[in-house]
Order: sequence, then C-alpha cells, then structure tokens
Amino acid sequence: MKITVKLIGPFVQLFGFGEKEMEVAPATTIDGLLGLIAIDKARPKIITRNGLAVGTDETVENGDRIVISPIYSGG
Amino acid sequence: MNGWTGRILRVNLTTKTARTESFSEEFAHKWIGGRGFAAKILYDELKPGIDPLGPDNKFIVAMGPIAGIPAPNTGKTVVAAKSPITGGYGDGNLGTRITEHLRKCGFDALIVEGRAERPTMLYIEDDKVEFLPADEVWGKGTFETNAWIYAKYGKGVGVLNIGQGGENMVRYAVVRSLEGRAGGRPGMGAVMGSKRLKAIVAKGSKPIPQADAAGMKKLGQDDLRKVHEMDKQSGWSIQSTNGVLAWCNEVAALPVRNFRKTQHPDAWKVDGERLNNARIATYGCPNCTMRCGITIHDDAGRESELDYENVGLLGPNLEIFDLPQVGALNYMCDDYGIDTMSGGCVLSFYADAVDHGAIPGDIKFGDAEKFKEILTSIALRRGEIGNLLAEGSLRAARKIGKNSEAYAMQVKGLEVAAYNCKFIPGMALAFGVSPIGAHHKESWVITFELKQTSRDSYGPEKAQKVIDLQRIRGGLFEYMVSCRFPWIELGWGLENYPKYFNAVSGLSWTLDDFWKVSDRIYSMIKLFWLREYPQTDRKLDYPPAVWFDPDNVDKEGPIAGRHLEYDKYDGLLQHYYDIRGYDRRGIPTKATLERLGLTEEGKAAEKFGALT
Repeated sequence: MKITVKLIGPFVQLFGFGEKEMEVAPATTIDGLLGLIAIDKARPKIITRNGLAVGTDETVENGDRIVISPIYSGG
Repeated sequence: MNGWTGRILRVNLTTKTARTESFSEEFAHKWIGGRGFAAKILYDELKPGIDPLGPDNKFIVAMGPIAGIPAPNTGKTVVAAKSPITGGYGDGNLGTRITEHLRKCGFDALIVEGRAERPTMLYIEDDKVEFLPADEVWGKGTFETNAWIYAKYGKGVGVLNIGQGGENMVRYAVVRSLEGRAGGRPGMGAVMGSKRLKAIVAKGSKPIPQADAAGMKKLGQDDLRKVHEMDKQSGWSIQSTNGVLAWCNEVAALPVRNFRKTQHPDAWKVDGERLNNARIATYGCPNCTMRCGITIHDDAGRESELDYENVGLLGPNLEIFDLPQVGALNYMCDDYGIDTMSGGCVLSFYADAVDHGAIPGDIKFGDAEKFKEILTSIALRRGEIGNLLAEGSLRAARKIGKNSEAYAMQVKGLEVAAYNCKFIPGMALAFGVSPIGAHHKESWVITFELKQTSRDSYGPEKAQKVIDLQRIRGGLFEYMVSCRFPWIELGWGLENYPKYFNAVSGLSWTLDDFWKVSDRIYSMIKLFWLREYPQTDRKLDYPPAVWFDPDNVDKEGPIAGRHLEYDKYDGLLQHYYDIRGYDRRGIPTKATLERLGLTEEGKAAEKFGALT
C-alpha cells in the first residue's frame, strides 16, 4: 500500500526528509506510521490526512497524503 | 511605585511643549500598561467623532511593567491612536529599543498631541525633550531615516519612525523601528504622518523601579537561557513563522488570488524550507532569543526580512511564487512604512476588481512588476489608483461599487491576516471579534479548531477558545508588554509572567487576576467603538462576505464545496457575546461593566448609545 508522507517546518530538518512516498502494510495506523519514521510520539504535533485532521488510532489507506506538522500558533 | 515609573510624558507638537504627569497606583493596577494604558487614555481624552488624521487625535506609545527589563522577549512597545482605517480604536506592538530607553527616561507612556508646523523629530533624553527639524529626511524611506538617526545618535538609541506611506497618510501605514520591525497595522504610521512627526528618538539612563531588581535580573537571565535552549531543541527558528505556510496550503487555509482559493501547487516555492535555504541573516527584537526575522536578497539584491504573514499576502495571495520577488514587494512596504498585510490585501483586492471588470486596469495576478508600480503609487498617493488604494480596500470598494465590497478582505476596515477562513468558522470569528479589525495577533485558533474540534462545528467551545486566547494574546502580552512567541511557539509556561510581574511590582498576582484585566480592556475598547459607531450592530463583527459565498467554494481539495454559513456563524457569534456578557449588538451590558469596574466609563458611553 503506497502513501505520501509530508513533514512540515523544523520536522523536515529534524527527521531528514520533506516529502516522500512510503510503502506500508495494510491496516497501518497513524501511530504505527509515526514509529516507522521515528517521530517522537510524545512530541506535540498535528496530523492531517488529505487535508483533514486524523486521529493516531486511525488506519491509513492506499493513496493517502499524510502531513505531520508541529503545532504552530500563528505568529 | 515599584514596577512602574509612575510617570507619563505628554508632548504637544503644535505648541512645542512637554510636561510630565504622574498616575496613581490604582490606575496602574487597573490597566497595567501597554494596550491597557492606551485604551483608557484614548477613551478618556478623545472627543468621539474626531478626524483620526487631524490634530485632535493623540498618538500613544505605551510600555508595560516588565517591558524593557531583560527577560524572555520583553523588548516590545504598544503604539495606539484612533485608527484612520477603521475609525475605531487602533493599536499594534513592535520590538524596539525605545521600550527600554523610554522607561529609562522615567516614563511608562508617551502621549503625542497636536500637529507640528514643520516635519519634526522628537528627541527625549532622560528629562530633556527637544522638537528637532526633520525636513532633511521628510520624503525619505524608513531605512534611510533610521540610518540618518543612527548617524546622529549612535545605534544604541531607541527609534520609532515612518516612511513616505505615513507622511502621505496611507491609511494602513505603520510605525517602524530597528530597520526590520513594524507595528500599528491600523494606520498608526499615518497618525504620526498627520502630525508631521517623522521620528521619535529616546535615550534613557535611569534605573527602572523594581521591587526585587536583583531577583528579577537572575530570573530574567536564567529564563532567557532556558527559552533559547527550548528553541534550539524544537527547531522552531529553522523556518520561523513561515513554517506554517506549507501547513496552511495542506489544510486549505492559504490565501491565494485574493483569498479566492485556499491551495496552490506552487506554494512550496515560497515555503519555510525555501526561505531557510535562501537565508542570509536572522534578526530579532531586544531581549529575544528566538529571532524570527529571516532575511533574503530580493530581486534587486536588497536585504529583505520575511515572515509568514508578508510571504502569504504578498506571495500566494498575489499569485507570486518567487521569493526574491516577494522579498522586493516586502522591502518596498518596509521602506515606505506600509503594512505588508494590508498592502498585500489591497493589491489583491485591486487585481480581483480588475479581473471582475469592476474597474478598468491592466493588472493581472502574478505580475510582480505591475504590483511594484502600484505599491509606489499608493505610498506616494500618485494618481487616481494610488489615491484610491491608499484609502484601504473597504473605502476603495465603496467608491468602486459593483459589489466589490464582497471581496474586500477586511473586518471593520482592517484587512485580514494570511489565514483563509473559507471553512474555518472559529478563526473567522477570531477575525470578526478582534478589537482593532481583522488581526491574527488577538486569537489564533486554527490548530485547536482542526485538531480538537470538528471543522464544521459552530459550537460554544470555539467561542470559549477564542476568548481564552484573547485574554492571553490580546490581553496579557499586550499590556505587560511582551512578545507571545515563547509561550505560543515553544510552550514556555504562562505561569512565568506573574513571576516577572510580581518580582518587579512586589505584588502577589495570579493569572486569574490578569484575566480580569484582559476582559476589562476588551470591554473598554468595545465602548470606544460604541461611541464612534452609535448605530453599531453585530454585523460589525462579521468576517468578509466572500467566505459565505456558495459561488466561491473550492472545486476540489479537502474543503471542496464548503463555505461559512450565515445562520451558523451568527450563532457562534452569539455564543461569544453570551460568554463575554455582551448584548445582541456586541456591547458589554451594564452588569458586565459593573463587574469589570467600568461603570463610569459606561455612563460616558451611554450618551452615544443605550446600554442594556
């Protein structure tokens, strides 16, 4: 199952990529995805799937665009 | 009086006189400083209905009890006046050395009255006040003016100055400092220009009265180090505020083509990663360890300082996706002393009006060179279009007609910041109820809204969050006066601010004490608006009409087909009024005013509009 993962802001430098396609197993959760790309689960973040917020216990689906961002507060 | 100098400097440019006034401890505790002082002084001293660009308006510079004292991000000052773009209360904050210097001259606030006969620079050195000629730099930009001042007095002095935008009374001209900082979006630079006040320079040497100066020094230094360390670990400064641009594009919140669209495939070309790659230097305010100003070379090789708001509104909003070109428009705004946000929205409004045939013209979205030409016309009020657009998008739309007001991206006359709320009801409310017209500084609720609520909810939890954020961002940080960045971006604890306040004042306040002050100031400002707009109703707190327009929905993407709904927005607004204790017009009730200690101020407003 192929998905696209995009990181935002300092996550790009901290975790080593801006955007990439990833092959993941069916029924992979957002939580599982965070483990795959070694992002600290405790770190405050906002995650969207195809532009809308998604919970960490939800599963990703083929073709999804997952965006992981620090929680900005609007300058 | 520890924590405050207890003195205000009042100068009159017409008579070239200056006098020092003292204020009471009760006044200090009730209004704290910054926005609190400014709102109360302007309410008490301005006659309702005066011309904001006439000599009867007053220009206020106000600091707070922790302002200028070394501690995390305390280098800010509030500038305020009756706004020439909204006709209501106007203010803004900026990082400047004048914070520390004016306080070291022995003042917590400066009130400027009247109008000078000739271009003037006000020079304040401790108790000495001089009215100096500024003809030499009248007509010059802010960079040259700042350099001229530094050549005379050295780089260490505190400076506020204006460019041609302020001189020519462009209604969204700002006040500038430190060659990179700007504040006072609702035309505070135009008010200085109307007074022929080109610059204020201050140099102070007195100690700032503090209950526990040694304790505060250690606390401040330790905390500056801690915030610096938090910033390094978080990586926030790598992309600074512009990190949020890519996120806004992903969640359909980016202003594109005068807010017609919420996403663009080329947005990545001007995002935080590209800005960081193009970085040539980084700048910040006094007492700041998380400097947010990233400079790049613009298309003319000049050093231009960018952040998210100006990239968003001078870039994608104009369909310009080339950082050096965005940098050039930004540099011009900074040099002319024009607000980059309103500047971007006014330019996009004009291109949209031409695009829709409401007004003839040859401007097209994406045409950076043409936008530069128009920007110069605005700053110099050159020609029909320059003069029209110098008035701001709302006045321009009313003159153009042909339904163009529907896509003037403003609230109360002040243009919106770079968040496209086509389908973000809570943030639309935050713009709607901002006390100075649309501004993101009061309450930025998007991440809460998207992460912790349903995006299409119009429930009371969103109204409550807007108020919570107003109490902190538009309240605490605007009257202390201090930058909100350590708290909002790094999670630096709010409980630290009472610690600083108590160390300098000797008091024992808690955060709950501060929230009451915040609510008092918001209600005070509402009364200011009531006096200026006696027929006021809740429509004044509505966001731009285009966000409600079913013909303006995204055709694809995460919010395809969605838009704000009038009835539901009105319900959300009512939740806000109910929690605040306002009536259906959005005016504080008598009971609310009494609870906040504003009974007398309410009586003064009642001559202009009945209270309930």
